[in-house]
Amino acid sequence: MKAGGHEIPEGLHYTKDHEWIKFEGNLVRIGVTDYAQKQLGDVVYVELPEVGKSVKQATEPKVKEMEMGAVESIKAVSAVYSPLSGRVKETNQTLQDRPELINTAPYGEGWICVLEPSNLQVEQKNLMNAAAYAEFLKGLK
Amino acid sequence: MGHPYIPNTAETRQQMLREIGVASIDELFVDIPKKIRLTHELNLPQAMSELEVKRHVQAMLSKNKPFTQMPSFLGGGVWPHHVPAHVRSLVQRSEFLTAYTPYQPEVSQGMLQALFEYQSLICELTAMDVANASMYDWATAVGEAALMCARVTGRRKVLVPELMSSERYAVLQNYAAGPGLEPVKLDYDWSTGQLDLSKLRAGLNEDVACVYVENPSYLGFLETGVDEIADAAHKVGALFVVGVNPISLGLLKAPGDYGADIVVGEGQPLGNPVSFGGPTLGLFACRDDPKLLRQIPGRIIGMTTTLDGKARGYTMVLQTREQHIRRERATSNICSNEALCAVAAAIYLTSLGPRGLRELAEICAANASYAIEKLGAIDGLEAPIFNAPHFNEFALRCTQPKLKIEKFNAALLKQGIQGGKPIRKEFPEFGETALLCLTELHTKADIDRLADAAAKAVGAKR
Repeated sequence: MKAGGHEIPEGLHYTKDHEWIKFEGNLVRIGVTDYAQKQLGDVVYVELPEVGKSVKQATEPKVKEMEMGAVESIKAVSAVYSPLSGRVKETNQTLQDRPELINTAPYGEGWICVLEPSNLQVEQKNLMNAAAYAEFLKGLK
Repeated sequence: MGHPYIPNTAETRQQMLREIGVASIDELFVDIPKKIRLTHELNLPQAMSELEVKRHVQAMLSKNKPFTQMPSFLGGGVWPHHVPAHVRSLVQRSEFLTAYTPYQPEVSQGMLQALFEYQSLICELTAMDVANASMYDWATAVGEAALMCARVTGRRKVLVPELMSSERYAVLQNYAAGPGLEPVKLDYDWSTGQLDLSKLRAGLNEDVACVYVENPSYLGFLETGVDEIADAAHKVGALFVVGVNPISLGLLKAPGDYGADIVVGEGQPLGNPVSFGGPTLGLFACRDDPKLLRQIPGRIIGMTTTLDGKARGYTMVLQTREQHIRRERATSNICSNEALCAVAAAIYLTSLGPRGLRELAEICAANASYAIEKLGAIDGLEAPIFNAPHFNEFALRCTQPKLKIEKFNAALLKQGIQGGKPIRKEFPEFGETALLCLTELHTKADIDRLADAAAKAVGAKR
């Protein structure tokens, strides 16, 4: 679906920090949304988390254990917060050379990492579906 | 008329007070408790006229003895060198000499180009790939290097030589305290002063962010085991940081050629004067590794081409590392640099060229070697105290019983010579010792005078 010109694919889950989450068996794939990449502008560098790093689901207030890297555009740097608690299994090394994939394919080749969630049952309820995220975006204006 | 330097008169002050509805200036301070307010006029001398000020200051200045009248052998981190007249005259051009940051690319291409050239020269000199546009001094560059290594490796231990400059160590401790880094001093070989490699290997493990050495060392000897130190550090995934006096690189192998990941140093000797210990210029350079590049502190100037591809242009790059964009996640809280000193360094190095720098380094080393020979031959003195090659500084020990190094220096001073920097307080284990510095400013006659004066000071027969 689309909201305010932003792509919001059905079947994914979303956070208020503008990350998307895709369930893949026991694992989840994570990236930033179309809205987020447009806010950032041209992405020039992506700081990826270390594979094996433990992260906590992001809540307020944010602390370091909730960070899983950063996305850097020409004039801003935004931390990527973990949508779920768990352990980083894999990171998208292609982004090292082609950070612009975050802009061109935020839901595809621009994925950031794969996480092995540790508390999915409980934490899942904090995520939004596509319709809820679309509503959330409308509320931002 | 009022005061010659204060433009407002008693009438204008009254007018201003009336305007804001206050009866007297004192009324502006009513919020400050009476008991801590000054109740009388400051006890200051009468204002002087311009001519009187000139006389007064000249009388004070006449107490100073310039290098030309009294040879000085003080070094230890700030070294006297000849600054060619054109360096001074070029850096004082108004295009460079400005009170504020000239970094807008649309109006500051000259400054940006000069800084880009400075960075390129520092890279060439150190055999590194990336240099920033400078830090405050060597000491803060060491602190920043330690923080950078901790960010890159995610580790906290910083191994440093026991014989590093105590002032630089103090600054490093300052930098280390906040983020919880742990500087650890490494033992040295008693005979050479150099890092004890077996102790280094024993201290290395996967908690170590970096190994730092100074080459030439603070006490003047060369650290000859650098290849082994680099290998040992890299084996456990630690970074290797080297601190330098850049003049020495005219003669010595560049740190990048023996495995350094980061090079820091003091750029003052590159065309900047010794004025009561400054101004200083922190050198900072690293290898071209994206992991390092993203973590380097301070400003970096980059070169690019204009949109039509016809002209070169210069601009600040990678600013997302810096505080004005990255806020508390910035690589450093440095918000400035030593731009004018960096420009002086660029002009100085460019005018010297590789051959000039080599000749300069050779003269410095040769002068130190001659001074060691002359002083070392005197009964009651020992020079150098370490059995290792030296560059332009060395430690001199007074072995004459009961002769304190300060007394020895006072005896030199009486004979019109400023001796070396006493280091007993920093390193009591070496006894009555001073650090002497030799550069191209010292003539053979100066060194002979030093030796004669030193012999007299220890009462040696010659």
